[in-house]
Amino acid sequence: MQKIAPITKLALTIFVTIWSIVLQSLPALTALIVCQLILLVIAKVGSSIYKGIASLFVFAAILAGMQYAINNDIMLAAITASKMIAMTLVFFILLATTRMQDLSAALVLQCHIPYEYAFMLTAALRFIPDFLAESKAIQEAQACRGYSPQGNVLQRFFSYMAVIKPLVLKAVTKSETMALSLELRGFGSRKTRSFKNNVTLALQDYAMLLSMILFTSYLVIQIY
Amino acid sequence: MPAIALQNFSYAYNHPKKVLDNITISIEKGSFSVILGPSGAGKTTLCLAVAGAVPHYFGGSSAGKVYVAGIHTQESSMQQLALTVGTVLQDYETQLVTMTVEEEVAFSLENMGIVPEEITQRVEEVLAKVGLTGYEKQAVTDLSGGQKQRLVLASVLATNPKILVLDEPTSALDPEGTYSLYKLLSDLNQEHGITILVVEHDIATVLPYADQFILLENGQLILNGTPESVLSFMAKKQIFAEAIPPLWQLKLMIEELATRQFASWHTEEEAIIQLGKALDEEARKNA
Repeated sequence: MQKIAPITKLALTIFVTIWSIVLQSLPALTALIVCQLILLVIAKVGSSIYKGIASLFVFAAILAGMQYAINNDIMLAAITASKMIAMTLVFFILLATTRMQDLSAALVLQCHIPYEYAFMLTAALRFIPDFLAESKAIQEAQACRGYSPQGNVLQRFFSYMAVIKPLVLKAVTKSETMALSLELRGFGSRKTRSFKNNVTLALQDYAMLLSMILFTSYLVIQIY
Repeated sequence: MPAIALQNFSYAYNHPKKVLDNITISIEKGSFSVILGPSGAGKTTLCLAVAGAVPHYFGGSSAGKVYVAGIHTQESSMQQLALTVGTVLQDYETQLVTMTVEEEVAFSLENMGIVPEEITQRVEEVLAKVGLTGYEKQAVTDLSGGQKQRLVLASVLATNPKILVLDEPTSALDPEGTYSLYKLLSDLNQEHGITILVVEHDIATVLPYADQFILLENGQLILNGTPESVLSFMAKKQIFAEAIPPLWQLKLMIEELATRQFASWHTEEEAIIQLGKALDEEARKNA
């Protein structure tokens, strides 16, 4: 999957979403889920992805339980949960097998999205670990000053404001510094920007795109 | 033509409170200059003025002129100046905006529209220059503080700037990281002729490399000269005297009390040798 062009994987994401909406039978949706799981195994993704998928299945089971409790229809509950799993799994495939730089290059070069918007995607992902570390540091610092989240959910939420406020302020400061540093590195200075990585489509991409179009057309014909 | 020249430059983020007041400095090509001064002296603003961020990015009111490699900064854009001046901000971690080491260095070059083949070559060269060869695929978040600092340096060096401006680059580094960063900056200065302008509080760490000290206080230029002359002035006038390295405080005290003159001390080793000689001479006299 890593050799597939990012734009093909983006198309796969869109097509799988369409298929998940269009398909109404449990066996078909199960087959779609199994196919996606096979793709993930072939892509040799890390264990953290499987942990995420396990959480997804648990969440889907809870959702199905709630649906069953409301409608008393086990089939409807199973289909709803399967649709959600099928739609979400494809994002795991996209994000686990595509480098963010390649994805933003594809968005700019092939989807003609302005680079500033595509850059937001990579920058947001880049700073997630930093903010988690920052949050931990603030919690430790506040704990030294007596912060201890106790009580009911509401009380915990309000006490957590002691962490959220400095975190937001730090995030704003960081974004200011980042904007300055981007200016200092010539960001957005030229209309034409180059990309180091090659994201052009290969033969397997065209084959995959064609297959997806044909399968979607078949589904549409079958339904209407 | 000097690498950096400020002519009667004044600046205020919010008029009328001046952060820099009538500064005139000339920094020669290939020099290693250090900006000194207490907090609020205007050191960071001076760096930002050289990079063009003041007033282009921050706005505010300014008077006078700043020339960088002959370019009048106010008549140029920050992006154009970025081709001549590489800037490392105090919060260097926020300067790292991509996921991997290789992508980070390539980012500056991609902004310039350089072709992929040349990007690959330059990334390789610049990572070798800062000692990060082999880290190409490493995630930025997995690097140590010193390695991150080197990576920021690599990302600005990739564009081949003639001038490097660094605002307190060692504030988050351990002594080992500080030493290796200044050694690297010294090599870039000596071997590649890059003009270095750095803000540093720990004078002892920059003494072996610096050839010019710029002392600021309350936005005004107090003195601009050789490290020896500036340190002596700081001790004599008691301006930012607490920052004078302990060995220099000892040197200046001995010179004042014993009317003995020492040569300039750039390192602890030089100080030890000269002090040893002085003690030997005293011992011989007493004998």
